[in-house]
Amino acid sequence: MLNIVIDGNKVKAEEGSTILENVQALKIDIPTLCHHKELTPFGACRLCSVEVKTNGKWQLATSCNTPVESGMEIATSSDKAKESRKAAAQLLYYKYPETQAVKEIAQKLGVDVSPEVAEGHDCILCGLCVRTCQEIVGVGALTFQDRGRGRDNDEPKIIFDPNVCIGCGSCAYVCPTGYVQMETDGDRRIIWDKVFKMVPCPVCGRFFAPEDQLKYISKTTGVPFSELATCVDCR
Amino acid sequence: MNKVAFSSWNGKVVDNRNGKAAKDVAVNFPAPGGKVALMMGWGGLVATDSKADIPSLTVGYLKEARKISCGECSVCMIGIDRLLDIMGRMADGQGSKADLSEMQVIVKQVSANSKCSFGQSALYPVLDAVKYYKADFVALITGEKKLNGKEYQSTVTAPCMDACPAGLDIPGYIELIKNNRFEESLSLIRQDCVLPGVIGRTCTHPCEDACVRKDIDESLSIRLLKRAAADFDLANGAKPFGAPAKEKEEKVAIIGAGPAGLAAACQLRLKGYGVTIFESLPHAGGMAAVGIPDYRLPADILTHEIDLIKRMGVEIKLNTKIEKLSIKDLKKQGYSALFVAVGAHQGNRIGVEGEDEGYEGFVDGVKFLRDMNLGIKIEPVGKVMIVGGGNVALDCARSCVRLGFKNVEIIYRRSLAEMPASDEEIEGAKEEGISIRFLSVPVKIIAKNGKVTGAECIKMKLGKPDESGRRRPVPVKGSEFTVKTDMIIAAIGQRPELPTMDAMVETTAWGTIQADPATMATEMEGVFAGGDCVSGPATLIEALNMGNRAAEGIEAYLNGNAPAEQVSFAGVDLAKQRGQGLVVKCPAADVDFLDPKKRSGGFEEVEGGFIAAQATQEARRCLRCYRVVVWE
Repeated sequence: MLNIVIDGNKVKAEEGSTILENVQALKIDIPTLCHHKELTPFGACRLCSVEVKTNGKWQLATSCNTPVESGMEIATSSDKAKESRKAAAQLLYYKYPETQAVKEIAQKLGVDVSPEVAEGHDCILCGLCVRTCQEIVGVGALTFQDRGRGRDNDEPKIIFDPNVCIGCGSCAYVCPTGYVQMETDGDRRIIWDKVFKMVPCPVCGRFFAPEDQLKYISKTTGVPFSELATCVDCR
Repeated sequence: MNKVAFSSWNGKVVDNRNGKAAKDVAVNFPAPGGKVALMMGWGGLVATDSKADIPSLTVGYLKEARKISCGECSVCMIGIDRLLDIMGRMADGQGSKADLSEMQVIVKQVSANSKCSFGQSALYPVLDAVKYYKADFVALITGEKKLNGKEYQSTVTAPCMDACPAGLDIPGYIELIKNNRFEESLSLIRQDCVLPGVIGRTCTHPCEDACVRKDIDESLSIRLLKRAAADFDLANGAKPFGAPAKEKEEKVAIIGAGPAGLAAACQLRLKGYGVTIFESLPHAGGMAAVGIPDYRLPADILTHEIDLIKRMGVEIKLNTKIEKLSIKDLKKQGYSALFVAVGAHQGNRIGVEGEDEGYEGFVDGVKFLRDMNLGIKIEPVGKVMIVGGGNVALDCARSCVRLGFKNVEIIYRRSLAEMPASDEEIEGAKEEGISIRFLSVPVKIIAKNGKVTGAECIKMKLGKPDESGRRRPVPVKGSEFTVKTDMIIAAIGQRPELPTMDAMVETTAWGTIQADPATMATEMEGVFAGGDCVSGPATLIEALNMGNRAAEGIEAYLNGNAPAEQVSFAGVDLAKQRGQGLVVKCPAADVDFLDPKKRSGGFEEVEGGFIAAQATQEARRCLRCYRVVVWE
């Protein structure tokens, strides 16, 4: 265990844990848009910034991807930390004013927002879907494209590889803005414009999973497809 | 030193606009020839003319910065968009003075809260512009001035890119690996490095020495990331080079299929020219084939990458030694230009008594490696002594271990600190039981019945630094000693063996060809030269770069155009940046090395590579220290 200080209080922190984990354990509310506790921290939204004192110097750091160090002092609600979180929210709201999740967080952080209902579903490049597909599902059907040099002024975006996607829908589940949409209707599921064939349970008849997903599970776990083809309730 | 009207470079403000005695400021302008009137870059704003149009320059700069911003974190790219929108509003007569304070707030917030070094540093010059040229921005708001809409010249670099002899877009290909786009990463690498698998294994990686992370925790493993992109491609179908957009009529002859020749061939072929390479040895690859042993560079990696170049339509004529080079004959055969890249394959004399006696057991290092790589059987003897301290000496010594020599000793006239061989090589040699005798030098070869039996040596001490900056070794009187050895390998450098030419090509005192460093053009019209035969023994990546330059130079020559000017950042401290966020310490990812016990008796590759997941993890450590500059 390491000794750290959060907002003036001495706290014991586990080695390798992040600032955000320790701050959240104290029930201090830090906003996040790109964070999920099961995924590698990404530090994209910059909404979880706090002030950190290391080597005698206070500096901003995103709490989600900064591990604690022994003796670290953390200020979660200093003026500088609050201003910085608000500024990040302001910029996100400037770019995606129609997206409810962004608008809510911006409002919470003190940004003046329009009273009109936000009905857009923009991709805010938080990368939750990309990381989920890579780290949890293990498929890697989603990647970022047009980042950095050589793309000129193309907008960065997420690229979907229909050849490897198994149609599990995890990306739609984690998406905070509703950009990733999934539609399941009887024997069909549509996600990222790809149509997947759903498998009916031979016992109850319910279309419970895409065929490609069951094949993938069978391949990675070695369980025969025939065993997986029955839904969990009826097994 | 340049006289300036205003400079805020690196945050040091010099303002001579009010007409007082002008102060000089030391700013090295990153531009061709250093002739710059106006510049905005990561370090600040510099103007030589007090009436310079700074608001227009600011827009020009922001547009270029927008291209480098990756959009991974929420503040940088959106911040730049917001700044450009505000500037646009001002130009449309809809701005207000409040916009100027908002611009300053945005710059400060983006700089303090960006994820990468680019975002943390890139916007400071905008802050300087708004602060020190406020009246000009106000004039824009009031409509007294307009934006000029000019396209400024611009360049992008980074400490690693600038350190790379071939100027590879290192942060760019690392970013693609980070985003799991290995294929595109390799395409980007190939633009400037046609042998990525070879360079990914053998490069001396000056980029890693320049990496900003070096002083924080550890440099990025840039070389291994390049290798990962190449390995990934090899394991996933080996993508060929693209076809030339348009075939051209002209043909180019290249002498020497080493890294310089191959790079020029590949680049010229991509431009649509017909290319024939004449190679004297039975294998293509030059020093990469016959100088570097397989445990560092497996032959199949090189063969594969040469095959890709051949598949583009580059013809390689092996076993074709050009002893006498006749430009007229080549022109008659239909070649419009010639690139000489014959390398430096002739070992230097060590200057000891007995060297020219033809003793059995005395050999020069490059010949030793060449024979070995060409498959000539080398029988191990009791003891071998290698003279020299460079990578060739180390390659010889470590190869001897693999050939079954039991007693391998390196003798070097200076100390470890001055040893030019790379640290990895010295470390590897020690692991393999090779001993190094420092501060000693042989003065006479002892032989019996024409066979080497030992060497008379003398101890050295370090004197004053010589022209290389290293301390000159001086013999210690009366310290002579004798070493028994059955073989001596002299590895103290190489020089080119040039073909005779029908017209004079200027050569230097070191026997190398003189060529323009930008275009590789020689004094003789239509004849270009590059690689070790121009630079003297250098690295593969330097040779590749000379091949790339020659391809550009030859294209310009054949089209009758002036070659493109090169932007130089010489003397500019690229590591310095005005905003540096907190960097969490995280050491570089490790790779496995072959167990030292398994290294003798075979030439299995010693160093392992990253698997894809390790590569993406390592790529995430990149701080993205891109530096953008616009100027006129």
